Amino acid sequence: MASVTYNNIYKSWGEVKVIKDLNLEIRDKEFLVLVGPSGSGKSTALRLLAGLEEITSGELYIGDRLVNDVPPKDRDIAMVFQSYALYPHMSVYDNMAFGLKLRKMPAAEIEEKVKEAAGMLGLETLLDRKPKALSGGQRQRVALGRAIVRHPAVFLMDEPLSNLDAKLRVETRSQISKLHKRLDTTFVYVTHDQTEALTMADRIAVLKDGMLQQVDSPQVLYDSPKNVFVAGFIGSPAMNFFDATVTGSPEEMYIDTGGFRVRVPQSYVNALRGYGGKKVVFGIRPEDIHSARFTPGGVTGETVRGKVDMQEIMGNEIILYMDTSGSSYTARVDPRERAQIGDEVEVAFNMENMHVFDPETEEAIYA
Amino acid sequence: MRIKRDALLGFLMVLPSIIAIGIFVYGFIGWTGRVSLSNWVGLLPNYEWAGLKNYTNLLFNDPRFMVDIRNTVIFTVLFVLGCLILGLFLAVLLDQGLRGEAFFRSLFLFPMAISFIVTGVVWRWLMNPAQGSRISGLNLLFDRIGLDSLINSWHATPTWGIAAIAIPAIWQMSGYTMALYLGGLRAIPDDLREAARVDGASEVEIYRHVILPLLRPVTLSAMIILGHISLKVFDLIIAVAGKQLALDVPAIYMWTTTFDGQFYGRGAAIAMLLLLSVAILVIPYLYYTIRTEAEL
Repeated sequence: MASVTYNNIYKSWGEVKVIKDLNLEIRDKEFLVLVGPSGSGKSTALRLLAGLEEITSGELYIGDRLVNDVPPKDRDIAMVFQSYALYPHMSVYDNMAFGLKLRKMPAAEIEEKVKEAAGMLGLETLLDRKPKALSGGQRQRVALGRAIVRHPAVFLMDEPLSNLDAKLRVETRSQISKLHKRLDTTFVYVTHDQTEALTMADRIAVLKDGMLQQVDSPQVLYDSPKNVFVAGFIGSPAMNFFDATVTGSPEEMYIDTGGFRVRVPQSYVNALRGYGGKKVVFGIRPEDIHSARFTPGGVTGETVRGKVDMQEIMGNEIILYMDTSGSSYTARVDPRERAQIGDEVEVAFNMENMHVFDPETEEAIYA
Repeated sequence: MRIKRDALLGFLMVLPSIIAIGIFVYGFIGWTGRVSLSNWVGLLPNYEWAGLKNYTNLLFNDPRFMVDIRNTVIFTVLFVLGCLILGLFLAVLLDQGLRGEAFFRSLFLFPMAISFIVTGVVWRWLMNPAQGSRISGLNLLFDRIGLDSLINSWHATPTWGIAAIAIPAIWQMSGYTMALYLGGLRAIPDDLREAARVDGASEVEIYRHVILPLLRPVTLSAMIILGHISLKVFDLIIAVAGKQLALDVPAIYMWTTTFDGQFYGRGAAIAMLLLLSVAILVIPYLYYTIRTEAEL
């Protein structure tokens, strides 16, 4: 059982810096998800921890042991690869037993551990099969099993669900969460899928261009993103952003996007006091824009009229792609709002959940 | 209709080749088979039926053919093993991502472009068995650098001379084996090595437990390709040492008995036995390859 500490970690390929000054503390027994778009360095960060890439500079600790120069086999880690990387010439049993055999564990003990892991994952009847004879989901479970039998201090997973179909992905997601509770070990999980991150993580670390943007629990990340990137990355459909101007007086402050004008709630006025007449980035999530006719109880929104450009009917909700005098945005509205494309619709912005960012630094301006 | 006409046209286009192959390959195999069952000796064709006499004589009553089989076995074992070991070794070295890989790859592959005759002529000089004042080739080199213990009479060594012939053959074909292995190594995903590394395998263990087992199909292909070259060896031995009884192999026996001795029946029987031995090696392989290709 161990924590993991990235201390001023840099990784470069020649001139290209893929990880820039990464400082991250992963707690013992935590499920931490590294998330980011492709090229953000999330996989590299994981591979540095696995010992598959060399650290350019900085210090990496597992527990309180400096592991910069420790080979993978001595790091007490196990890893699940995106491709599963099962040994094609070995049976399921041998795939799982391989690491234990290398450690010269007695055969009886190996059998016990493999059987136990196989039981956990429902692989008992497949132990004699070769990977080729398994379905994608089964292969994925064998890859998990191969990691489980080792009882590692840290469990690493590199996009383990991305090769599964959508339904299986959702099922396996909860299976992995359960596994984490049961094994009670540190999990470090890499994904580009923010839904995976939100649903599984204790904490999420968001990376972009090799730089850590924010680390926090899913709810905090969703409610209080630190900058435009995190705000846009976490949540689906993504947050709406507008280049806007702060107008009015502290008594009656407005955000003006050029297309429409909405009043700033009292709670935000102080934070924006210094921005009077200046440009800001105004952000609001689609789920905070309601149909004015079907606004949930307790929400008093600033109403705005707009034209429906496009709509996606989800059954439980409708996603409207709106346009108000040139400002376009997405709204998740009540399914009873039966708008047609081209219709003029009135929507209500729940400004209590608004976000404002400095246009220069792209950092959030908190209320 | 259209497809039928295209198919007919295609068939007409390949027809000349089919006819040529039919006559010059399969027709002559058939004719050789017929000759091997005859008593033909001398210049004039004689198709008098002899049954399997030529075969039984060769297999049970011909000390020269026994020497040939023994030589072929020694040569094949040394040649195939030598190529596999050296080829794998070079491939593993090249797979380490060293600089100038393309250059070394071509360098090692190059001997394959040379004919066995040329290789033989060069190695005839390198493996000159002469010693004392007429010392030359590799022996001269050993003498000059003080490795006197390595000086030997190469293919002139009694009994084991054929082993020396394997040296130029390995020199020529190990680069090709390397190319086969390198292709095999490149086809193994990096993930597997990394998984093994995380699983706790050392580099040696990764090769032993993961890489080598996955190269088994390549080894099989290489063995069959090298094996059939080895069974048919003729020109290399002639170029290095000429026709010597001590270095005799079936192909040389076939040549001398047919064209020097005019024992056409016996020569044809040897040819058929050679064909049979190559077929035993190649047909299961072709069958396997075609089947796995069909599966893909």
